[in-house]
Amino acid sequence: MSNWHPTDEDLILHFYAEGDAADAERVDAHLRGCSSCRASWMELGETLKLVDQATMPEPGPGFERVMWARVQQALPARRPSIWSVRVLLPVAATLVVTAMASGYAWMTWHRAPAGDSAPPQPQTTAATPKRDSHLGERVLLTALEDHLQQAQMLLVELKNAPEGASDFNFERMMADELISSGRLYRVSARQQGQAQYAQMLDELEAVLLDVARSDNKVGKSDLKSVRARIESQDLLFKVRATSKQVHERQRNLLSAAANE
Amino acid sequence: MFVLDGLLTGPRAPRLMKQMHPDDAAAVAKAKGGDEDAFRVLVERHTRGVYRLAYRMTGKPEDAEDVVQETFVRAFRQLNRFEERSNFATWLYRIGFNCAIDYMRARPHRESSEEPETLERISGHGNGPGIDDLVYAGEIGERVQTALNALSEQERAAFLMRHYHGHSIEEICGALNLKTNAAKHSIFRAVKKMRVALRPLLESAENAQVRR
Repeated sequence: MSNWHPTDEDLILHFYAEGDAADAERVDAHLRGCSSCRASWMELGETLKLVDQATMPEPGPGFERVMWARVQQALPARRPSIWSVRVLLPVAATLVVTAMASGYAWMTWHRAPAGDSAPPQPQTTAATPKRDSHLGERVLLTALEDHLQQAQMLLVELKNAPEGASDFNFERMMADELISSGRLYRVSARQQGQAQYAQMLDELEAVLLDVARSDNKVGKSDLKSVRARIESQDLLFKVRATSKQVHERQRNLLSAAANE
Repeated sequence: MFVLDGLLTGPRAPRLMKQMHPDDAAAVAKAKGGDEDAFRVLVERHTRGVYRLAYRMTGKPEDAEDVVQETFVRAFRQLNRFEERSNFATWLYRIGFNCAIDYMRARPHRESSEEPETLERISGHGNGPGIDDLVYAGEIGERVQTALNALSEQERAAFLMRHYHGHSIEEICGALNLKTNAAKHSIFRAVKKMRVALRPLLESAENAQVRR
């Protein structure tokens, strides 16, 4: 077997049939021979099947009429006329009744799904030939590596931003997104007993919060204080080191799984 | 013999029918001429589809309804730009995704100081109910939605367009005004986050299987 393994990105593109035929054949051939990548591939498929099985609350009957009434009200150059009042009044009365009835029906359906409305049963576990004890960790590490790379980019941006007032909107948005995903990974890291990653994410979040809460235009002193915080905690260095550690750990897990 | 042979070899089929609904063309033509009843036909036919994407994007029924309304109002205003040979639903959904992104960006800035309880919950391990119970309780839907809510607007839109609507990366680039790499990376990040968030559900399914 060659040393080549498809990356998670390759597998995602393969899942969505985005590569060309040769790529698809190469990945398929590899998956047949590599149990580690196959486990990852199946896990990906099963996660995305779970997404398919997710039900959502459907609006009740009469929703189309409700929405049309709202859209019609908001349409440009709407003709205000007796006609609309004559139509909308009975519609509104009907809607109140329909909304009550559909709310009751929805609650009943939601509590006791059965028959046609029940979502299909998942076939997740039956398809898993062998459990990979590190699969959960690998899933986390893959996401974490991306996260830390983005965090590094942001920290470098902040470090190199020109002094004086500058537009901070992009950095704020990026920090906000990183806070949200960082929390997800931190919870997952704690649950997997990866305290060092959880702590790293904690430290990172403190700086990200400063950035996310800053004004759109930051002054020289705000930037200075964020930079001082990054430097005093050696944050960029820590993020780089953790990122490298995450990368190494992934490689080790992958080769260990391939040798099993 | 692999149990998941189909998964190994079968490329994912697009979900969205590419043909236009046969009656859409006639209704669009009339609506372009100012016929409000014809536009009403379009609204009533597509309102649930737009609602589903808006709900997945915003995570709240009342926000989804606002997005549906705004989508159709924008569609009405832009109707003259719609090319007859295109698919009306695809065109409309594009508007819907962009409306949802605009809507979410206009919402008050996220409260960043509190640890959201929902993340603890969606990632919560434990000896919870088995996968069958979760499906029937609709909890998977709730957890998937919470996981979707943890994505950025762009990641969520790109992922939903790819996953639920079967749009190609090229189409996503056009709809969201992204470069190819940005669209791909949005999908990659979204899938990675979904995997982390939904991993406990898969584990509980595996554990339930082992127990049986």
